[in-house]
Amino acid sequence: MNAAAAGVSITERIARERSASGLRRTLLLASGAMALLLASILVSAVLGAVHISTHSILAALAGDRAALSSTELTILLQVRLPRIVTAGIIGAALSLAGVLFQGLFRNPMADPYVLGTSGGAAVGAALGLFLFPTASILGFGAAASFAFVGSIVTIVFVYALARSGGKTPMVPLLLAGLAVSIILSEASAVLIYMGDEISANARNLSLWLHGTITALGWSQIVLASVMLLLGGLLCIPLRPVLDLFALGEEYAQQLGIRIEVARASLIIVASLLTAAAVLLGGVIGFVGLLVPHVVRLIAGPEHGRLLLLSSIFGASYLIVADTVARTVRAPSEFPVGIITAFIGAPVLLYLLRRSKREYAL
Amino acid sequence: MTSLLSVRNLSFGYAALGHTRRPVLDQLTFEVAQGATVALMGANGAGKTTLLKVFAGLLVPQRGEVRLLGRLLSACSRRELARSIALVPQEISVSVDFTVLQFVRQGRAPYLSFLGILQDTDRIAVWKALELAGVDHLAERRFNELSGGERQRVKIALALAQEPQLLLLDEPAQHLDIGRQAEIFSVLERLNQQGITIVAAVHDLESARRYFTQGILLRPGLSPIIGPPPEILTSSAIQEAFELVATEAHHGGTESLRKTKALKHSAT
Repeated sequence: MNAAAAGVSITERIARERSASGLRRTLLLASGAMALLLASILVSAVLGAVHISTHSILAALAGDRAALSSTELTILLQVRLPRIVTAGIIGAALSLAGVLFQGLFRNPMADPYVLGTSGGAAVGAALGLFLFPTASILGFGAAASFAFVGSIVTIVFVYALARSGGKTPMVPLLLAGLAVSIILSEASAVLIYMGDEISANARNLSLWLHGTITALGWSQIVLASVMLLLGGLLCIPLRPVLDLFALGEEYAQQLGIRIEVARASLIIVASLLTAAAVLLGGVIGFVGLLVPHVVRLIAGPEHGRLLLLSSIFGASYLIVADTVARTVRAPSEFPVGIITAFIGAPVLLYLLRRSKREYAL
Repeated sequence: MTSLLSVRNLSFGYAALGHTRRPVLDQLTFEVAQGATVALMGANGAGKTTLLKVFAGLLVPQRGEVRLLGRLLSACSRRELARSIALVPQEISVSVDFTVLQFVRQGRAPYLSFLGILQDTDRIAVWKALELAGVDHLAERRFNELSGGERQRVKIALALAQEPQLLLLDEPAQHLDIGRQAEIFSVLERLNQQGITIVAAVHDLESARRYFTQGILLRPGLSPIIGPPPEILTSSAIQEAFELVATEAHHGGTESLRKTKALKHSAT
């Protein structure tokens, strides 16, 4: 023991530890993230083909019924707000899934689609659009419903492929995910080119594969919120498991973790969240990959705080990205996935350049 | 002295492509007394690490049994095991940028409730572990930026946070200079004085002689030799165990082993 540290009692140390890294700091960071989220919601509500002033929105929130015209109110409640909430749910779900998959694979490259979800979603969406264009399940369109099913089926298939002798080794799982994803993505392209002409369906599919957020009905939003909430709650007991996974499989095991159960739970929760995001907005890249990295820089590597802040920050990020997507060339729109990539990739590169030492999660 | 760990007819072999290979551990029987410090010795591949992993419950023996205070290891849950036995592995790669404090906290995992919230008792155990391993001043440093010796002591601190009765270490002094080696062994002596039983795979026979009360010399194809290290580490035993011809040459009191020729050994 060194001289400087001697004489400091354990009680004092714990008090210091609490103030430096305890619940208080987490709450402080979470409030900051919430403020950012509220700001992005407000900005997104203001901007659009019809400009609604910040002042009138704030006045309406404060109880002034005359602050907004009925047209403005309709636009807000039936167009912008549902879309903002949808974007927020997708952003939160993808960011949580990103943290879970990066922790599971101990790999900073892992994103929510690592197990082939995007490929499965693509084929599902293509089949839905080409074969049953008018189908609708629980109010979700053909592409979304079939993509949801496609992504779930793909994950189950990839997991089964990688499993051998009662175990699921991680490298085969990653490779199986990669291979299946590529095959399925190309298969969806085949479906497009098999048509006699590039149809409206093909354009819809392409839009959808780059992520497109639409204003959903409130009942769909409630359903999606339930999925996000369920996934989020399930993250709570998985938090210490992710911390232990960071030490490697054997360490986690000797610290009391049942590896296969833990892995399967992580995959199920992360997949549920990813599939929910796919259902709402198609395949949106660079959210689940980027957000956990940014949050780690601010909040450190412990997974409890990382999960909480990533969900809030991810929601804000996608709300902002979607606002850009629908306003930059209004009245027409870009797929939001293009925007998240254009913002996300340079940010990631900047982070890599800034952290001069070897990059750790 | 009561025995903490009792091993009966323990056999283990790694499965290779569906076949069970020649056992690495073959019919081992011995006891580890409570409060003992045991040096596991033997050539590379003799099964030192394997034996430690069996004790930690990471590998399940094909035959035989291991009991901790009379209770079969196979009957204990993972969490129960983690609260009585801690293994300090040789190599570790931490994939996130944990500080030492965050790293050592993981030792409390087997005590946490479903929600995984650290209680005061957990925080106290973590700081005690850091102090005992002599790394409390490193608490805010990043684990991945520590030197080899510091890292080794921090790993020991994590194991201590588990509050184990039995501490297993896989080559704790590997790759360390003699000063850092002495540091590690003095930490281990201190822990042993606190009543923790220690079983360590040890490469350096001189350290085994100096710091350990009991030795287990694993020999390929033969039963192990068990006893106090100075007694069992005879040149003939070493020859057999390490498959070499040893000459005891004394240079100013230090004994050196000179490898003259490797004995022929047939692969099975």
